Amino acid sequence: MRFSRPQVLSLLGLAVIAGACAGGDADTAMPSKLTVDADYYTLANGLKVVLSRDTTVPTVGVGVYYHVGFRNEPRNRTGFAHLFEHLMFQGSGNLGKMEFIKLIENNGGLLNGSTRFDFTNYYQVVPSHTLETVMWAEADRMKGLAIDTANLKNQQDVVKNEVRVNVLNQPYGSFPWIDLPMTANENWYNAHNFYGELKELEAATLEDASAFFKTFYAPNNAVLAIVGDFDATQARAWAEKYFGSIPKVDQPAPPDLSEPRQEKEKRASRVDKLATRPALGIAYHVPPRWTPDWYAMGLIDQILGQGRDSRLYDALVQRTGLSSDVSAGINWGLGNMFNYEGPMLWMVTVFHDRDKTADSLLKVLDVEIESLRTTPVDSATIERARTKMRSSLYSIVEEFSGLGKLDLLASFALFDNDPSKINALEDGFAAVTPDQIMKTAAEYLRSTNRTVYTVVPGASDRPASGTP
Amino acid sequence: MKPSSFARGHAEFAEMIMNNRRLLRASAASAPPRETFTQLSSQNMTNTIKAFALVALAATALGAQDSTAGKETPPAPGTPKNFRVPPRRNFTLPNGLQVTLVPFGRVPKIAVELEVRTGIIDQGPNDISLASVTSDMLLEGTTTRSAQDISRQAAEMGGSVNVTPGSEVIAVSGEVLSDRATAFIPLLADVLLNPKFDEADLKRTIDKHARDNAIALSSPGTLAQKRFREIMYASHPFANVFPPEEMLRGFTVARVKEFHTKNFGAKRSRLYVSGVFNAREVEQAIRDAFGGWAEGPAATENPPVITAKRQVDVIDRANSVQSSIWMGTPVADPANADWVKMNVTDALLGGAFGSRITANIREDKGYTYSPGSFIWTRKKASMWVETADVTSNVTGASLTEIFKEIDRLRTEAPPQGELDGIKNNLAGVFTVQNSSRSGLINQLEFVDLHGLGDEYVTNYVKNILAVTPEDVRATAERHLDPQKFSIAIVGTKKDIDKQLGEVKIIRP
Repeated sequence: MRFSRPQVLSLLGLAVIAGACAGGDADTAMPSKLTVDADYYTLANGLKVVLSRDTTVPTVGVGVYYHVGFRNEPRNRTGFAHLFEHLMFQGSGNLGKMEFIKLIENNGGLLNGSTRFDFTNYYQVVPSHTLETVMWAEADRMKGLAIDTANLKNQQDVVKNEVRVNVLNQPYGSFPWIDLPMTANENWYNAHNFYGELKELEAATLEDASAFFKTFYAPNNAVLAIVGDFDATQARAWAEKYFGSIPKVDQPAPPDLSEPRQEKEKRASRVDKLATRPALGIAYHVPPRWTPDWYAMGLIDQILGQGRDSRLYDALVQRTGLSSDVSAGINWGLGNMFNYEGPMLWMVTVFHDRDKTADSLLKVLDVEIESLRTTPVDSATIERARTKMRSSLYSIVEEFSGLGKLDLLASFALFDNDPSKINALEDGFAAVTPDQIMKTAAEYLRSTNRTVYTVVPGASDRPASGTP
Repeated sequence: MKPSSFARGHAEFAEMIMNNRRLLRASAASAPPRETFTQLSSQNMTNTIKAFALVALAATALGAQDSTAGKETPPAPGTPKNFRVPPRRNFTLPNGLQVTLVPFGRVPKIAVELEVRTGIIDQGPNDISLASVTSDMLLEGTTTRSAQDISRQAAEMGGSVNVTPGSEVIAVSGEVLSDRATAFIPLLADVLLNPKFDEADLKRTIDKHARDNAIALSSPGTLAQKRFREIMYASHPFANVFPPEEMLRGFTVARVKEFHTKNFGAKRSRLYVSGVFNAREVEQAIRDAFGGWAEGPAATENPPVITAKRQVDVIDRANSVQSSIWMGTPVADPANADWVKMNVTDALLGGAFGSRITANIREDKGYTYSPGSFIWTRKKASMWVETADVTSNVTGASLTEIFKEIDRLRTEAPPQGELDGIKNNLAGVFTVQNSSRSGLINQLEFVDLHGLGDEYVTNYVKNILAVTPEDVRATAERHLDPQKFSIAIVGTKKDIDKQLGEVKIIRP
């Protein structure tokens, strides 16, 4: 990645240098390094800008990432960060209700926004000739919201229906993506219901929205990222022209998000009236980002939980038939191991039959966990994990017209002030040794560092009846 | 953003109807994703959960029409660049296997997908799920590789082997690093041609189906879709995807073998390769790996006759705080002259964020988070479908508004400006949807399945842009007759029944 030197940008957003991978034999030779070229700088008002060019297809991805996620929403306003994300589509200085959406769609684009643990993002993919229009529109809503009580009431209703369709009216609804963080974490910032209690969603006011916007939606708390087919000189000029005049706002000190070291296994359970089969979720606190243990944890996830070749799939599905599938991941359900900042969990989820207890599945799982904690993995295993990780990185970087790449660049700019970290990832995984894996597993896959959550089915298997 | 949600070869239906629908719809605008059996399983349900990211716009709507005086107007866009779908090369092996090679992109990966024209369409009344069970069994081992061998070898190539059973196509596919292409192709061939079909594996696979079905049927959306299928496809094999457990337990290795022998073969298959690859080496690998495959019979031609009458079925589900609605009617299929017009009509009425129904029941009234329409397409059989999960006490009101929007479009041609926006959107989305290895393959297989010819792709944007306001009105009038809509609703029946009396179109 090159910084502040747009003239020397490679034509390829994604350049791959061929070569044999470290430690592999000639047969498994593959491109050795993921290299993303990007230009990174900061405007006078503190807005971070990342530009990464790739002209394969005449489209451009634009993302604005704000450094505020649902962890730091107001205490008596659970779900507010997400509700606020909806409000950002309801009107700004020069765009009335839904005109933003109309502008993007009618120019041939796609758009959305999302709320995560540590950021809220707004993004679009558009034909490349409409880039200036989109930058103008994103700047317009960074300058200020123009919403009324009708907009707020409408989006409160929409969000309540979102919570109903995804949680309240669904079997397993909040499992495991809300249940496990709420149980495993101790610090309120990490442990509250981030989708929101309906009562607290209803209590939100325009004043809340205004205060939240003024505090967090400032240029010095955001990243503008652009990937795809664009002219770098033009893009820089437009960034200055449309965003440069937005005033900076002093940011409050970030809250203390730290979690104490977990010393005792936690267990929790609930009866789900809509569920027909038991479900088991397990969460372990993971090592801090960028540490050797964190890289090792990424490979542990590959070894234990990713794909049909993984040890947990083999043990729980292939060999015993206890479950139909295994789902696992760091930041599971809300992102990947690269796009968060604060404390995080590694989760494993399985669904099973009523005639088996959660403990009988845990016993099978524990054999695999204990093996990893006490025996170094062989070289074939660690190399396969690295290959899978590398392939998964390619997938992220390519996905959805470059928005996956944009997501990594924006996250690393937002959290680390260094989007070039994207090019250091492979080296980090390459440095992990079998001993490092064992040491990390021994500390982080302790049973005393985990939370076990079970969903007990409260519904019968008999499907609901129709009335012709 | 999960790698799984966008990197998979097929956007999954379950995800499509969930919150990320519009983004995923991008890969489905003119080539709808083939729905799968597993879409209705817990596996997909967990995939759906995976896709959660508290997304603002399940779908959303048009707002005020014009900027008021004194406001800045957006800078005008520049000049559009041309986008050309990369050309493909086709050839046919002596046994009838068709092959399509289409170079794409610069990332050193390839997507390989073998499509067999079989699936639910070849199931008898006592075979519900047999195609899906057979598909799962392909990954349980071959005469020379264990299930673990298949998984590990594919992982060492940077990918996996996936089997996706659908209504009329079963796909065996994967993406691996380019330099492993010539090793991956024989692995796919082995999975397809030489399955082991072992007793113990079948037992486990049947247990999995029983478990996944029980979980899937606890979801209101799945229940609504199940009933909707039964109504719309009536006596056709497509009507039923959930077997009674006794039927499932009755499957034997002999029946699985028989299904495989009767319905898999070179003559009814096509292999697609896209990405970065050496064409000469890949062609040779394909000839070596698939040259010996038996021709087998031709694909079954048995298009369903989709139900076109008014009926409403309410399925009672205790503890429901929403009503899950699936409603639809047969429309122009891809071979019909109205197909492109129907695509525009769908986007304007319910398909796009800015569509009328979404503007009405979400952005104006707040009845729902996740409304949306799409064209559910099988060979020679398409239907237009609107789905929404609405707050229980506005079930009747939601139906009234949906029919109101349909009626309005049937009687008044849409304003030119509104239509132009929708057409631009479809044209732009077309570029995005063809901008990945698997997106490109999806597009080509759509063209091939429906016998459209590559000019369909070449002319798509031009044909979209040619649609007039009167075309849209007339298309809605011809194909969206409210008297011919079937509706399945899952929710609290006693509350819903009360409200249906108020919906004129349903109880006149």
